Amino acid sequence: MAELAETYACVPTTERGRGILISGDPKTDTIAYCNGRSVIIRRLDRPLEVSVYGEHAYPATIARFSPNGEWVASADVSGTVRIWGRHGDRALKNEFRVLSGRIDDLQWSPDCQRIVACGEGKGKSFVRAFMWDSGTNVGEFDGHSRRVLSCTFKPTRPFRIVTCGEDFLVNFYEGPPFRFKLSHREHSNFVNCARYSPDGSKFITVSSDKKGVVYDGKTGEKMGELSMEDGHKGSIYAVSWGPDSKQVLTVSADKTAKIWEIMDNGSGKLKKTLSCPGSGGIDDMLVGCLWQNDHLVTISLGGTFSLFSASNLDETPIQFSGHMKTVSAVASFIQNGQNIILSSSYDGLINKWIQGVGYGGRLGKKDNAQIKCFAVVEEELIISGFDNTVRRYSLHGCECSDAESIDVGSQPKDINLAVQSPELALVATDSGVTILRGLTTVSTINLGFAVTASAIAPDGSEAIVGGQDGKLHIYSIRGDTLTEEAVLEKHRGAISVIRYSPDASLFASADINREAVVWDRVAKEVKLKNMLYHTARINCLAWSPDSRMVATGSLDTCVLVYEVDKPASSRITIKGAHLGGVYGLAFSDENSVISSGEDACVRVWRLTGQ
Amino acid sequence: MSFRRSNASSGMGVADHCKHTYLELQRKKVHRYVIFKIDEKKKEVIVEKTGGAAETYDDFRASLPENDCRYAIYDFDFVTEENCQKSKIFFIAWSPSISRIRAKMLYATSKDRFRRELDGIHYEIQATEPPELDIEVLRERAS
Repeated sequence: MAELAETYACVPTTERGRGILISGDPKTDTIAYCNGRSVIIRRLDRPLEVSVYGEHAYPATIARFSPNGEWVASADVSGTVRIWGRHGDRALKNEFRVLSGRIDDLQWSPDCQRIVACGEGKGKSFVRAFMWDSGTNVGEFDGHSRRVLSCTFKPTRPFRIVTCGEDFLVNFYEGPPFRFKLSHREHSNFVNCARYSPDGSKFITVSSDKKGVVYDGKTGEKMGELSMEDGHKGSIYAVSWGPDSKQVLTVSADKTAKIWEIMDNGSGKLKKTLSCPGSGGIDDMLVGCLWQNDHLVTISLGGTFSLFSASNLDETPIQFSGHMKTVSAVASFIQNGQNIILSSSYDGLINKWIQGVGYGGRLGKKDNAQIKCFAVVEEELIISGFDNTVRRYSLHGCECSDAESIDVGSQPKDINLAVQSPELALVATDSGVTILRGLTTVSTINLGFAVTASAIAPDGSEAIVGGQDGKLHIYSIRGDTLTEEAVLEKHRGAISVIRYSPDASLFASADINREAVVWDRVAKEVKLKNMLYHTARINCLAWSPDSRMVATGSLDTCVLVYEVDKPASSRITIKGAHLGGVYGLAFSDENSVISSGEDACVRVWRLTGQ
Repeated sequence: MSFRRSNASSGMGVADHCKHTYLELQRKKVHRYVIFKIDEKKKEVIVEKTGGAAETYDDFRASLPENDCRYAIYDFDFVTEENCQKSKIFFIAWSPSISRIRAKMLYATSKDRFRRELDGIHYEIQATEPPELDIEVLRERAS
């Protein structure tokens, strides 16, 4: 049996030029955000415990806890709102098709009876408020002509709704049933966020014109503005009130977050500017924020969370991050007594994770090369992207040395490093293989068949190349020549991955036809067959350090762990490991499997004996 | 002499012996499983092998050839959630993907006609690879 031990969660999907909205539940200190089709709920004090809701059929945009903490309402780009129970098996309470386009913001009424959702309506309604259990409308919301970016519900009676959008307008509705009351055109650019203070006395709107305006909560009249001196120098993307209703936190494209004190007359005075240490560049632009209890959370465009403490603003923030896109490869090794995991995604991001602790940092690379194939042995990293070059890096803590790259003639399909002599690398390209020693090409051999996968033995003496036709060709390496030793035929589809066992006595291969086979290396015979339990192509394969177990990960979101000495039917199945498919697998020790997939998360599973 | 009508699409008849053996499994519980084969020369489905009531599922799987198609009947005993002992009859169409195309075609077209002869089958399973014949598959279907 396998149980989930740790999850290294993804970060919210961000888009340049727009803010993102994250929400939280102050009672349990959790935050919720969306990435792809998943809604991620994380506890701020226990970062390794993450719960993921993957039932949306379209990319999810926003999720909000109900004021009583029992339900979550989440919305996606198709205009559907799903209301589900937070605890237990996340039973779906209701699902409504609210708008005809994407939903940008969602709010519960304080009595948990009504929900207002706003977004893109394709000309018809941009905002809708409805009863949470029946879906009946509770008002008419006209007055907007373009996408409505944010909406907010007055948290105290009498109920009011404020909406703001791309038509630069801030609209105020009274109800229920909600009717248009008045509109403000104080801003000269997109109004990105509108929020009511927790006591309902005021609400503030922030905009891409770098201004923030404060209004009276009950009448909707303008009261004052955030002071322009020391104001933001870039678009303000999000705003969040402090629990005392006297302070707000704003984040902006000028890479800073500012805390303002809001006076009773509605004017705002700057209290403090917070800037997060970053690498420079647009990834540091802050796009989302949340003020919950004592925590100030800001999110940057690159997906880095910064956690400040409200009571001690001068303390350096705790920063953590994750992946935003599919994690296509994972590798594990031991450094300074800790299990380090490296995960890479195609946009060129390599993150370091420490098992048991969590985020360990981002590997700083000086270039932004995209990554397609990734191999790591101890302190050496070799990467290839979508161009014809292969780059080598050596790892020093969290920094990579400058890349040295070499052109291999065509896009590499697979890269392998010989574990015992990492300067020997085998690069498989469309029609052949290239052997590299260090950064010099030792030889390029045209093999005459379409190559899809390759592997090199730990001692560098043998290589196996898999073809489009499912045949495995075994070559012995002598100096710079390859001599074909044998051709093995068993697979019925193109080979997707080949791996040697750590003790080099066996190797395993997997194909697109869902089958994996373990072979005896010396006798070149099948050792374990009938590993056909996946229902879609096998993407990745890993051996346990003692060479006793093989794990396969597939597009069908399952990870299967087989024991080489037992028949294939006695396997451990991990279903639904990653929404969208499992793309990377590694073993960190005999009982822990690390998997990564399309949901941009990395998970560690503990195998318990059967 | 019984008049043997030939099958609609592939021309295979069904031997009387098949029906009798099936009834023995169903009524008298003499057999655990029966394996049927298509005899091309006589153009009919015949009984290839039967397994005694004491034999297990693994014995049954071992009697199926790896690269040829067969039909099979298996009597599956299990205990339900409410602790009742139940027994269900499974019809298994075994058509491994490594078998000859001609064999697969033959067995596929004759299957319907053959199945109609056997009344009282609870579940039908089509298996194309050994993993699809796992005992878990039967257990899941039965519950």
